[in-house]
Amino acid sequence: MDRIKEVLNKFDMEYVEDYKSTWIKAKLKNKNDLLKVIESLKEVGVKTCSTVSPTDFIDENRIEVNYFLEDLFNKKNVWLKVDVDRDLEKCEIDSITPLMPSADWHELESFSTFGVKFKGHPNLRYFLISSDYYGKFPFRKDFDWEAHEQNLIENINSISDEFFEDYEKNEKTIGHEESKTVLNWGPTHPASGPIRLKVFINGENVEKIDADIGYVWRALENLVERKDFVGSIVAVERICFMDNPNPMICYSQAVEEIAGKEITPFAKYMRVILGEVGRIASHLISAGSFFGTMGLQTFLMWNLDIREYFLDVLEDYSGARIATASIEPGGVRYPLNDYKAWFETIQKAIDKFESVKADIDDIFIKNPLMSSRAKGNGIFTLNDVEEYYLAGPIARASGAKIDVRIDEPYAAYGELNINYVTCENGDARDRLYIIYKEIMQSIDLIKQAMKKIEEGIESGEMNPTKDHLIRMPRRMPAGEAVSRVEWARGEMLMHLVTTDKSTSPYRLKMRAPSVNHTMVLNKLISGKTLSDIPLLYGSMHICQGDLDR
Amino acid sequence: MLKVLDFFNYARSKSPWIVHFCSGCCSLEMLASMGPRYDWERYGYIMTPTPRQADIIFITGLVSKKILPALLRTYEQMPEPRYVVAIGACAYDGGPYNDSRSVIKNMTEILPADVFVAGCPPKPEAIIAGLEELKEKIKRGEPSASSQGGLWKQMKF
Repeated sequence: MDRIKEVLNKFDMEYVEDYKSTWIKAKLKNKNDLLKVIESLKEVGVKTCSTVSPTDFIDENRIEVNYFLEDLFNKKNVWLKVDVDRDLEKCEIDSITPLMPSADWHELESFSTFGVKFKGHPNLRYFLISSDYYGKFPFRKDFDWEAHEQNLIENINSISDEFFEDYEKNEKTIGHEESKTVLNWGPTHPASGPIRLKVFINGENVEKIDADIGYVWRALENLVERKDFVGSIVAVERICFMDNPNPMICYSQAVEEIAGKEITPFAKYMRVILGEVGRIASHLISAGSFFGTMGLQTFLMWNLDIREYFLDVLEDYSGARIATASIEPGGVRYPLNDYKAWFETIQKAIDKFESVKADIDDIFIKNPLMSSRAKGNGIFTLNDVEEYYLAGPIARASGAKIDVRIDEPYAAYGELNINYVTCENGDARDRLYIIYKEIMQSIDLIKQAMKKIEEGIESGEMNPTKDHLIRMPRRMPAGEAVSRVEWARGEMLMHLVTTDKSTSPYRLKMRAPSVNHTMVLNKLISGKTLSDIPLLYGSMHICQGDLDR
Repeated sequence: MLKVLDFFNYARSKSPWIVHFCSGCCSLEMLASMGPRYDWERYGYIMTPTPRQADIIFITGLVSKKILPALLRTYEQMPEPRYVVAIGACAYDGGPYNDSRSVIKNMTEILPADVFVAGCPPKPEAIIAGLEELKEKIKRGEPSASSQGGLWKQMKF
């Protein structure tokens, strides 16, 4: 930490201060120094950019660009701020993508939504937003949405026009020599969600993959600005329904930090249980669709059956199967009136999984056919993890010891017994194994948390009907916070900014892992054959919900 | 007396095929209704990857601006008679995304639906109940709502 501070202090900084246990927060005075700062940070090991998040301060006529940089293996993080001019023409800053490739798509996203131009970006283009927003930058505070909405039909037609232009352009540039063509993989491919991969192929061989995203773009980061602090959880949880509770935990932590409140131990353990149940529900679909992409639907069906039991747990607690809205700032939403009955439901789900575990092992995990296709296919090294910031199960499959639950413990994870779960090879098969191992780990964590709650209630330390929620102020003070959780698909980072006496967030940046996982598809699949696309795509466990937000 | 045309409608209603198209989170509950616990194949529903063989298209919850042309194109590729089932609050008026800048809020005006299943997301039981209602409509031989009108005819896709 001291070395990083030393490096930062060499430059002209407004402040350099500690933030939480693993972060250093600094603000750069002159934006022209940015590249030099990044270069020297790289020398001391901070090699990864988690995300880039601009905040539009319209009253002060500036846009503050936040860089979240990480030293993945030594668990040191830097939060670097730089001001740029708000004026569209002067709103530019040096791109850090040549130094840190992991920033690539995050910079494109900032450019498309806020209009911050990144000088020196290898391919600066509009991205994520639909074509009717080109040149309009919808996340800026002065964007006139109502005027924009009036021409709905023209807007839709312009999106179609763009597709046809793209199609014609490809026809011209590629021509009819050899067997080259551009294949649209999606947006309605059954193996994926709504994403369009433009696959440049020569015969069977994939030359390049260009992902076209934004098909489920709901502008969630912007939507929360029109909701209050509690109402925002509805938008936040919809980032992806596969693992529903964890994004809410992340958001709630950020709000609690700004309000300066600490939640009760009971609520912390409840968050662990709900979070882990969500993780299992998500992992079961991930593992099932991995086989689904290879054409074997049986495993998916088995997993869906097990998943129903875990959804019962969420339904018993919150009344909803996947849209639970069960965690809000201040704790968890509902009291636990009959904890024994709920624990029985959890036990039933765990028993269900354990009763089929041996069969799953024999038939699917040790499946020789799967091994022959997936083993050694699509390998990521530790270096790739650092360079492109692969997170969560994908990183751990390559042997990287990264897990926010251990690195920066939140909720009650600090008091539970938890170890890194890793595989070694980093190929497609390991990315299935790791999912399976993590389900086992989650079950163990749930059991530990259940035991702690039981002990707490019996000794009278916890009151399940009253401790679930603490009082939160209705109006928040000015402040900002960064909160991280280990989501089912990797690290989720949220950056929340509030203004004084506000009732709704001023800016919320949600960093979700699927962005980087889709970014590396080009590197992963180029040079392989067409039939490898579903397999490798399935092995990345990408969800379009969190890819587009 | 049973007419021959009635027989075709009857036969069609017994095994409607649904095109595999997902544009929003409700598709997760669609997946659950395909799964072993709810198993909509008991009622004769099955997913097909191609619109050319499908009778029904789902509007699975939210439809963003960018996916709308793809949805309409998929719909247009289906043979007549074709039916539309709208699932979830988003398909009706944007639901939780009603304030969002990139979600279509009047989806059923653009592509009128024959059956609307409420919920956010609707439970698998509700989806199956909605489909059962559509079966009755197919059996009666009523024309589908989307063939009667809708803004989709003015759009390019």
